[in-house]
Amino acid sequence: MQGKGVTMRCNYACGSHESLTRRSFMGGTAAGALSMLGFGGMTQVQAAKKLAAQQKQVVVFWLSGGVSQLETWDPKPGTETGGPFQAISTSAPGVQISELLPYTAQQMHHLALVRGINTRENNHGKGAYIMQTGRKEQPGFAYPYLGSSFSSHLSPPDSPLPGYISVGAGGSSKEATFLGPRHAPLVLSGGKAPANLEMHASMTTERDKLRRSLRSKVSQRFEQKRKTAHTEVYNESFDQAAALMSRRDIFDFSHFSDKDVERYGKHDFGQHCLMARQLIEKGVTFVKVGHTNYDTHSENFNFHIEQLGEFDRPFAMFISDLYDRGLLEHTLIICMCEFGRTPKINSRVGRDHWGTAWSIAVGGAGIKGGAVSGKTNETGTQVIDREVNGGHLFHTYYQAVGLDSTEEFYPNGQPIAKADPKTEAIKEILA
Amino acid sequence: MSVNNSEAVAASKPVLNDAVEARKPGVDYDAIDPVKTHKVAELKHTVPLTSCRVDPTGRFIVAGAEDLDIHVWDYESKTKRTLKGHTSWVRSFDFSADGNTLYSACWGGDIKAWNLLDTEPKSKLTIQAHQGSARWVRLSPDQTKLATCGNDLLVKLWDLENGKLLQSFAGHERHVYAVEFHPDGKHLVSQDLMGVIHVWDLHSGKKSRSIDASVMTGYDKKFAADMGGARDLQFSPDGSELATAGITNVVNSFAGVQDPIIMLFDWKTGQEKAKLKPDKTFQGIAWGVRYHPDGFLIGAGADRSGKGELWFRKPDESEFYHTMKLPAAARGLDLLNDARHLIVAHSHGAVHIYRMTEEEKQKQV
Repeated sequence: MQGKGVTMRCNYACGSHESLTRRSFMGGTAAGALSMLGFGGMTQVQAAKKLAAQQKQVVVFWLSGGVSQLETWDPKPGTETGGPFQAISTSAPGVQISELLPYTAQQMHHLALVRGINTRENNHGKGAYIMQTGRKEQPGFAYPYLGSSFSSHLSPPDSPLPGYISVGAGGSSKEATFLGPRHAPLVLSGGKAPANLEMHASMTTERDKLRRSLRSKVSQRFEQKRKTAHTEVYNESFDQAAALMSRRDIFDFSHFSDKDVERYGKHDFGQHCLMARQLIEKGVTFVKVGHTNYDTHSENFNFHIEQLGEFDRPFAMFISDLYDRGLLEHTLIICMCEFGRTPKINSRVGRDHWGTAWSIAVGGAGIKGGAVSGKTNETGTQVIDREVNGGHLFHTYYQAVGLDSTEEFYPNGQPIAKADPKTEAIKEILA
Repeated sequence: MSVNNSEAVAASKPVLNDAVEARKPGVDYDAIDPVKTHKVAELKHTVPLTSCRVDPTGRFIVAGAEDLDIHVWDYESKTKRTLKGHTSWVRSFDFSADGNTLYSACWGGDIKAWNLLDTEPKSKLTIQAHQGSARWVRLSPDQTKLATCGNDLLVKLWDLENGKLLQSFAGHERHVYAVEFHPDGKHLVSQDLMGVIHVWDLHSGKKSRSIDASVMTGYDKKFAADMGGARDLQFSPDGSELATAGITNVVNSFAGVQDPIIMLFDWKTGQEKAKLKPDKTFQGIAWGVRYHPDGFLIGAGADRSGKGELWFRKPDESEFYHTMKLPAAARGLDLLNDARHLIVAHSHGAVHIYRMTEEEKQKQV
């Protein structure tokens, strides 16, 4: 189970508010807590407003390999680059998407499209970094990933729940960088609940309590003279594990109704979407759901029929269910990947990597459903209106959930802009 | 190779009519020899081609492309017409026996019929045949019915007179890539993504048996996707054998790392007779297969590099005995009625006509 026994180095000793532990927060005064949270100088009303923003949740659908924008959000039927598929009308007036997404088309009034992305990056890893950190990779410094950032900003400090859970999408403890291991992804490998959430059969509650108490006393004694970031992280990992065990109910995925399984599909992605729905209902701040794979250098069209045929319905069901349950208005949904695919169709009937002119879809909290930003030319080879990059997208995500995207992190006391200050939010898709 | 059945077929006229032939004495320029296959003409289009067919009388060459049109060339004059009406790429064609009527199937699910004797042919029949792509269309031997298949997992039989559905065959669990009538007119075969070949009895309307071509599919664990399907399907003229072209040994499907394959099956027993693969350095897809009237087999394919090849196999041999390199990926193959010419649809946007005889050096007038 990731997060248990984590010992990665963090910048705990920097003294920034990002290094708060849950225990120190709970043990402080309200004013102290506000100060420590970075709310220092705010009135209670202002703080309450900011706290309200922290109720927001985020779900990312990560279509790894790079889904084709021409077969999804920006179809160009009848052109030399358009491929064999048609565009269809959607529930958003005037907005058309690919015929491969008929269920999603019925949810477009909840979604906005960004069709003018130019990340200038055709490498999988580098493209993924841009889309998940809002920045290009820089030697010597690592920006936190979206899941870790939102876990840090939006998770209630005393929540026993992991702030960032990845379902079928992988993840690394490195994503949290200076935000610390508490905000690293809890990866549900293979879409399965973490192992060992139940107390061992030989252990009673009373014995466990005594055991924890003993470990705590030993730790405290050790820390009196040798407290470091490592020891604190080590201690916190025990607290996180205990909290996780106390809320193991969120990982009980055995009670989906037959109707839900039918609606979402019995395949892995359908099940992962159902799991994501449950995690959001239970209050997890950030959930990343992966669907693989779209790296279609060969047979692009046959593969997109197959892959999007699996993706479309559960994705649409997820949006519909969140809306029906009143969760969509405070849950930001982002459907993205590392880059798009070339308008030019290669000799293998495939499309290659293309970061020059492509699209993503966002929806839910703070997003103007049915809005479209950006435009590509007739064959999709260039952005001709409202070009944006990862920085613009990060400002937009932050503002969609009510956060100030112009604020800064302070790792090691140095200010680091949360989103690229050279860019700004895509206002036209914000509600 | 000696000329047998094709001796009765008149040799074609020179492809370049304004040239004077420079014939060597004692050379039979009509003798069919695949080893001497050479290009004699190029029919250009502006975008990559996806399929091709030539009519049974040798007058019309048609091709589908990465556009919405059908491209028709007159074989003699090389003049080109464009048929408009499909809403998606055209993947499959068939002709009436007299060559006058063309049938086409597109990714949008429609089947259309065209009278090629019209100066500007318009679609005279449209059948919304399948939900999702209509991948294949074939005319029955008695010229009264059309068979189609598609992504709705169905094989369908249509009345040519009125376009009405006669029979629908359910049983495939994945997309159905190709369908073909047995020459006896009593059976249909269809092959899907997973290499399942079903044989349908047209009298009972039921599946009579299945043939295992499961080596023609592969699941790529990394990419979590299946790849396979028949890219061409044809019975031998006597109906004793079924040939199917596609892929095998999927290593990295998204990068096109897999082997082309042509499989031959005994019709009576359903047993595999041959697995034909080109040299292992050629990785990609076999897109075409044809039985020559003289008994040898011709295949065509596309390598992941973008190049193509033609392959030739003598009857009952287990390997191709001759390979001809092609300048671009081959995406379709057909044989002219003169038995001496092949057409290949290429990814670089042209149909090439190849002649399987000694090359006639030609002098321009």
